[in-house]
Amino acid sequence: MTNIKYHAYLFDATRCIDCRACMVACSVENNIAMNKTRIWVAGIGIKGEFPSLETASMVYHCMHCKEPDCLSACPVGAYHKRDDGPVIYNPDVCIGCRYCMNACPFGVPHFDYDKGIIEGAFIDKCTLCPQRIDVGLEPACVATCPTDALEYGDRDDLLKKAHERIAAHPDRYINHVYGEFENGGTSYLVLSHVPFSELGLPDLPEKPVKEISEKVMEMTIPFAVGWATVLTGVAAGVGLYQKNKEAKKETSVEKKAEAENEN
Amino acid sequence: MKINLTLHPRARLNFSPLVWVLLSLMGIAFVVAMIRYAIGIGPITDLSNSYPWGFWISFDLFTGVAISSGGFIMAGSVYILGIKELRPLLRPSILTAFLGYIMVAVALLVDLGHPERIWYMMIHWNHTSVLLEIGICVMSYLTVLAIEFAPVVFEGLKWEKLAHLLHRFIMPFVIIGVMLSTLHQSSLGSLMLIEPTKLYPLWWTPILPILFFTSALAIGLAMIIFESSLSSRYFKRGLELHLLDKLAKAIPVVLVIYLVLKFGELAWAGELSYLFTGGGMSVLFWVEILISSIVPIAWFSFKKNRQNPTMLLAGAVIVLFGMILNRFDVSWFAVKHPDPLFYLPTFMSNVKYVPTLPEISVSLGIFSAGILVFGLAARYLPVFEDGHREPHASSGD
Repeated sequence: MTNIKYHAYLFDATRCIDCRACMVACSVENNIAMNKTRIWVAGIGIKGEFPSLETASMVYHCMHCKEPDCLSACPVGAYHKRDDGPVIYNPDVCIGCRYCMNACPFGVPHFDYDKGIIEGAFIDKCTLCPQRIDVGLEPACVATCPTDALEYGDRDDLLKKAHERIAAHPDRYINHVYGEFENGGTSYLVLSHVPFSELGLPDLPEKPVKEISEKVMEMTIPFAVGWATVLTGVAAGVGLYQKNKEAKKETSVEKKAEAENEN
Repeated sequence: MKINLTLHPRARLNFSPLVWVLLSLMGIAFVVAMIRYAIGIGPITDLSNSYPWGFWISFDLFTGVAISSGGFIMAGSVYILGIKELRPLLRPSILTAFLGYIMVAVALLVDLGHPERIWYMMIHWNHTSVLLEIGICVMSYLTVLAIEFAPVVFEGLKWEKLAHLLHRFIMPFVIIGVMLSTLHQSSLGSLMLIEPTKLYPLWWTPILPILFFTSALAIGLAMIIFESSLSSRYFKRGLELHLLDKLAKAIPVVLVIYLVLKFGELAWAGELSYLFTGGGMSVLFWVEILISSIVPIAWFSFKKNRQNPTMLLAGAVIVLFGMILNRFDVSWFAVKHPDPLFYLPTFMSNVKYVPTLPEISVSLGIFSAGILVFGLAARYLPVFEDGHREPHASSGD
């Protein structure tokens, strides 16, 4: 079938001509309604003054993070990460809470806001076309790209290719492959000639954003057990103390009465 | 055997115009919710792919859970810390908490994309999800609250034996209840931990759960004062001013701890500069701190303010207002979502989010139902009188 160990995309912004054929190919391949799309192309417009004009456009996919935050956030485990790359959403258990949309630092998952409960409103996002890559084909968007701005392959191979391309044309590229380390590493790698922030890509640390949230979650059970023990101890202690105090009061009252009787 | 199911009115209750207003708000909310179920969330709200959470989450979930914290504070104080004199405040607080959580659950059923699958949280567990913890805690705590409130219903029905039996075994439930409350009051703060790049640094800190728990204590105390003051006015019953004074004294203590934690963390993380350089965000932060903490600390430090019913109520309202602003800031105002023009086309998203009238009407309707049920419970059940006397606590309560 395929000998790719870890599926990934490489996007080269210098090659993208903003034709949006990838969007059409994706919608046709995955049967997406006309008023929706899984991927999106946005341009930053034309910058600079004639004759030194500059333009750039960016294709937004799911980044297929190595450590997906959507997967970490989903309460019912509707996401799963395949060992070979793709982050897959399972509509059968989704409860529609939209926490994944908040968790994703790239704002990728989107929701059917126009569907009632009978039609069923679900999350949708790029799947890395498992139905194609599993039989050795490229994802639909890559297969259709006329300028090879979108490429597909093994993540390590693509990273090597990207660094080689930067080395061959240091004047053309910013010396950084976005997605190599961002958010713990992504399967969507970006090369660009304009700053990545201008392409709308967030400035992210190398640790995934879910890091602290997951650390806190790990402490939940030990904390719950410890806290319940403390509360039980306090309740027992206070109860005992109050009982003793009352018993003492009673005995002192009795003693007083006895003393009075003796007198 | 004949089972007695009659309840006799206890409190005088004369506010029929208010009842009609509440009922119509409930009716409107019901109709809007039905429309939402038929045609989706999009057409009736301003929520979008850039703003997946809005007014419903900020008001119904974040505020709803926070203002229900009085229940565990009172249960913990009376049963665990043994402060028996606070007993008269216990039942109304538990009722408020019980209704508050039911309101949260009902509101979530409107907000969820698949409300019919809410029980999936019980069988599909993703142990890294903060939202799962909240879901499990809310469901379990609702059960605990039902058990804690059941003796009141049994007493109302004159099933004294059952009420007494339940009362004898209440302790484990109180402990579990306090534990569950601690967990999910704080985990509402943890909910935002996964958004370090979206939530403004003045609010995003790793100690968000601790801050949320501390502020929930202040909210709970203020809520008990608020709810006792209002019910004493509407049901024409006495006000436990000497008890409320004790709660009001505790509020500044809690708030000072809260401020030390909040500013201490900002200093430790080296983020103090944001206090003055964040433009609108800095202003929002200072307004929140002023209303939620600084003014209440000053207000409740004066004995005069604590012992005058009107001033006491006003102080509680200030705390509630400020802390609710905090919940809105953390879950909405200070959250920056990715630019929709980049990530999603505008036909699938929004550049701005302004809650719509139907959105707010759903929350209002659910809130009205809560007030109405509280009124009915106060009328027919021994909420404001504690029929049960523990044998060794003959004096003091």
